[in-house]
Amino acid sequence: MADTASPLRSTSMGPAFESPVVRNYPTSEGGNLTLTDASATAKWLVRADADGPTADRLGARFGSSQMAPGGALVLGSRPGEWIIVGTPGEVSAAVADLDGLEAQEFMTVLDWTHSRAMFRATGVSATRMLEKVCGIDWSDHMTPDGAVLSASVALTTCDLARNDVDGTPSYLIFCDRSVGQYLFDALIDAGNEFGLTVTASSAS
Amino acid sequence: MLLVPCPNCGPRNSTDLRYGGESHARPDPNTASPAEWRAYLYLRDNPAGWLRENWYCASGCRRWFSVERNTATNEFRDPPLPGDKRGGAA
Amino acid sequence: MTMSRQGVQPTEVIDRAAKLRFRWNGKRFSGFEGDTIASALAAAGEHIFSRSMKYHRPRGILTADYWDPNLMVQVGDDPNVRAGHRLLESGMDVRSQNAWPSLNRDIKAANSLLGRFLTAGFYYKTFMRPQWLWPTYERVLATFAPGGKIDLDTPHAYHDKRYTHPDVVVAGAGPAGISAALAASSAGASVLLVSHEHAVGGHLRYSSDAADQAALTELRAALDASDVEVLTDSTVTGRYEDNWLGIVQRNHPIAVERLIKARAKTLVAAPGLIERPYVFEGNDRPGVITPGAARRLINLWGVKPGERAVVFSANADGDAAVADLERVGTEIAAVIDGRTGGSVSSTAGSSRAVEAVMVNGTNGAERIDADLLVVAAGWTAPTSLLNMAGDRPIYDPTAARFFPSDPPSNVLATGGLAGDADLDGLRQHGAATGRLAAARAAAVRHRLQSRTARALPVDGDEPAWAPDERAPLGRDPHPELYRADTHGMVDMSEDISSKDLVAAAHEGYDSVELAKRYTTATMGPSQGKLETVNTVAAIAEARGETISEVGTTVWRPPYAPLTLGALAGRMFEPVRVSSIQPWHEANNVSVIQAGQWLRPDHYGDPAAEVRNVRDNVGLIDVTPLGKLDLRGPDVPKLLSLLYVNKWMKLGVGRVRYGMMCAEDGVVLDDGVTGRLGEDHYMMSTTSSGAGGVWEWVENWLQTERPDWQVHVTPVTTAYASINVAGPKSRELMSRVCEDADLDAEAFPYMTVRQATVAGVEDCFMWRIGFTGELSFELHVPAGHGLHVWEALMDAGSDLGVGPFGLEGQRIMRLEKGHFIVGQDTDGLTLGPSTGLWSLIKLDKDDFAGKPELAWAADRSLPMVVAIQPDDPDVVPEEAAQIVRGNTNEILGRITSSRYSPTLNRSICLGQVEPDLAAGGTKLTVLLESGERIGATVIDHHAHFDPAGERLRG
Repeated sequence: MADTASPLRSTSMGPAFESPVVRNYPTSEGGNLTLTDASATAKWLVRADADGPTADRLGARFGSSQMAPGGALVLGSRPGEWIIVGTPGEVSAAVADLDGLEAQEFMTVLDWTHSRAMFRATGVSATRMLEKVCGIDWSDHMTPDGAVLSASVALTTCDLARNDVDGTPSYLIFCDRSVGQYLFDALIDAGNEFGLTVTASSAS
Repeated sequence: MLLVPCPNCGPRNSTDLRYGGESHARPDPNTASPAEWRAYLYLRDNPAGWLRENWYCASGCRRWFSVERNTATNEFRDPPLPGDKRGGAA
Repeated sequence: MTMSRQGVQPTEVIDRAAKLRFRWNGKRFSGFEGDTIASALAAAGEHIFSRSMKYHRPRGILTADYWDPNLMVQVGDDPNVRAGHRLLESGMDVRSQNAWPSLNRDIKAANSLLGRFLTAGFYYKTFMRPQWLWPTYERVLATFAPGGKIDLDTPHAYHDKRYTHPDVVVAGAGPAGISAALAASSAGASVLLVSHEHAVGGHLRYSSDAADQAALTELRAALDASDVEVLTDSTVTGRYEDNWLGIVQRNHPIAVERLIKARAKTLVAAPGLIERPYVFEGNDRPGVITPGAARRLINLWGVKPGERAVVFSANADGDAAVADLERVGTEIAAVIDGRTGGSVSSTAGSSRAVEAVMVNGTNGAERIDADLLVVAAGWTAPTSLLNMAGDRPIYDPTAARFFPSDPPSNVLATGGLAGDADLDGLRQHGAATGRLAAARAAAVRHRLQSRTARALPVDGDEPAWAPDERAPLGRDPHPELYRADTHGMVDMSEDISSKDLVAAAHEGYDSVELAKRYTTATMGPSQGKLETVNTVAAIAEARGETISEVGTTVWRPPYAPLTLGALAGRMFEPVRVSSIQPWHEANNVSVIQAGQWLRPDHYGDPAAEVRNVRDNVGLIDVTPLGKLDLRGPDVPKLLSLLYVNKWMKLGVGRVRYGMMCAEDGVVLDDGVTGRLGEDHYMMSTTSSGAGGVWEWVENWLQTERPDWQVHVTPVTTAYASINVAGPKSRELMSRVCEDADLDAEAFPYMTVRQATVAGVEDCFMWRIGFTGELSFELHVPAGHGLHVWEALMDAGSDLGVGPFGLEGQRIMRLEKGHFIVGQDTDGLTLGPSTGLWSLIKLDKDDFAGKPELAWAADRSLPMVVAIQPDDPDVVPEEAAQIVRGNTNEILGRITSSRYSPTLNRSICLGQVEPDLAAGGTKLTVLLESGERIGATVIDHHAHFDPAGERLRG
């Protein structure tokens, strides 16, 4: 998955994607923690049997993630549920790869892009930031690179994935779009003590 | 805070789950007498000891499961049974 | 008692180069960096710090640490600060609390007067009657009550919160605790060491013994070199199920306090021991201190506690205090040895200072002039964390303290809590405890890791639960010294004397739990740490029994008092908004909070918004409306099971209203569901019911019908939902809709179409009418919601388009008589009470609540009806009662009530008894003012357009 997804457009002529994060944040430098609003990233949801042909094709078992051949990231988010994220092209390739499986088993594929906000927190302090808002054990043996889980973050149910960048801890955080601004602010509040840089990879 | 053994997510804080109460089978709605139906709705054994009960992993896998817990010691007898709500309250 | 700063001590923790200025009751003082507030004041010669709670007796230093009951002060706007613990800061404004009439002026008459009357249970007995005087009692008593002043203008301080999952938490950082932490860490465990004090070391910190100091240096160096995470000035306040621990950190750089919630795999309890005061006449006179207080003052802060001392010693700590006192030049007038039968029986002097001590020494009864009495009478084992883990400690009379009995195997005690040994022995026991804690933690870790899908795989079998093979610590004999031959204070925080406890026992409050509540002994800020065992001893004595027979109270959380701010921490209050929220905020919206959602209530004038919808066209943001995407061949079966009506033959493109009941027949939710494709449906729920209905659906699918092929996905926030309502809505929609035929025949009422709207693909819309007008409920992919809303506003400017909010919608739905689940229904409203009997299809094989609804057919039920007050200008309050005539017999209530700008009259929905439900029935409504008004039930729910011609248009 490309680290910075390009803005989605509904059609080539259509309007730009509006992120749920609408506030502006002062840019700062020098911290060791970066929080990025990546809500514009394409996200698709796949539902099928946890042990069926779709599961085989996607590869990522529950709790883990895997890079699809086309570059999308496949997250085994729940038993029999997968989230595919990436640029529209990467995700389209991954979804196209599932063609024909609907004849073999009962499965559902739906575009989840507008349903979920998506943030990425990267840096040596990213784990400490998450420890301030989430009761999950984030240590390396319980939540290694590639781990996927769902949990309450600042009282908001989120899908989470550890997806390190060049050996630096990095986390993807997905929540309901409507609560995205709240959660982004809660993460900033938690991360401020570590020196935080806020960026956005969405255009709005 | 209790650690509840979700069969999918592993042991999780009880606040991550919703308590579903004692396991009980749903009577046939077409033949149940009022007494049977209302026992299903309202009557619980509430033992001090082993109890089969339901939990919903609300912040995790969003799966219902049933598990045996000792209400006197809070010990869980696992592995819990995914999806099965019909363990019987006996 | 004359205290003064002495020359540099080798163990002192103050930086004499760093002078800190502060104020004490308005006067200027100075101390050094490293001083506590109390040590700085003591060094300056202050010896009265507070007045006691009930008798307002002057009080001085007792223990010179966190637990000192006499050192509660106000610092700025911060009440109840523990001056024995809080470090001095430059510029502090420190004031005494509970100092009526003032700290230094004595009112002897008041003292003796109060002393005679404030016996056990005094408040209970005296201020019972008459009840109308309670507010007066409260006001007067409040001026006597302890505690500082709360400044309501104090800004909110930042409190922080953090979670952590260490293998081992060690509570207490004395030599045993440090050794446990180091050993556990060496064994590979992640360790969190929590020190209640400002620095690790426990009792070694204030020992002048060279070997103790060498050991302290060595232990601190080892800690620095280890991976152990050390928290100082922090307390493990509670232990809960499965070693869930609350830890309050008081010295965090970014927050006043930080609450840490730790899930420890094993907990090591190493809190050490707390010196127990001795009960005798005058034991609360300033100048009576514990040996720990003397040694802390001397060795940590270089303060000489007095000029001439009597030391009553029954143990090595008392003996060590003698040596320390002599070193700083305090004259030792006498050492009374409690191990050989010596005792003190009282002090004499003014209320403000000890002048002499009455002793029973080897020379018999004797009066010894002294300004200081150091009493080493024994220890209390603070078993709190063990109690919280379910342990019931056992009293050992030969050692004169409680010991652990059988704590759960993931809680291990070490140090003084577990027994006695020399320093090496304590360190060895601590290390063995740390190794055991690490071994057991490894087994827990293996289990957690192997059962958690996302975790790294673990090799091999789960390690066996390590057996406890520690060599137990010994128990040094200690005389049972609780009370002398005189009576004195047992609980200095609450001013409870041994006489009060004896009196309580004689009045029948002779169980310790009863006596505690009756007298309030152990319930003050010291939380029993100093006074619990003396309380038990007094009760035992009154009952003529042993301490073991009486038993002790159970220590509950918190271990040490903590602030409400620490408990509240950072508040997490999720707020949900639609993607159109920026437009609302830019357009004078008045927001209403509905659950987590912020919703537009109105934009200035709800009545005008209603008229605009009735006359032209309006837009409302209904994004919070619950939406569930349902896919699969068995969706119709699911709908039939959850709704009371039929769903097997809903055609593609059709929409149907449905009502859900719970298994008890009570209305659960309602909404419309549309069929978007062959196996694709969209269910809408009420806004507040969205989460609950999702769980309800999952429960049925997972546990009752696991063989059905249905995938349910909540998509509430995937769409921005906009209801376009009004006679000109079709015209407006036709201007932005590119690929859908909006004609009444092509897109009739109760159908759904997919469309591209304002350039946004994948929108869907259905024709329904909550407002009673021709309307299109448009659902737009949320990332384009603002764009579409603005496009509609632009396109309709010549049509008079305007926004309307929840209030306008509520008025219009009430005009139409549409009930709201949870407003017009309640937790007892069965499905038929809504008037929708015809919707409930009892001939279906099964659906939720079917038996109760079938049985309800034979009963008369309260009914939801539309009601119009006879006076059209009177709008009854919602929840106003409907009564019989001039009686107070309740026959129903108003559930919704508004003034209708369309009809120019008040309109209501209400629930009434079955025999009042017929159209034309006259009702009496009792208003909050007490006035009774007449009202009439109308024939149908709709006050406006009952035939529904407008919405079908």
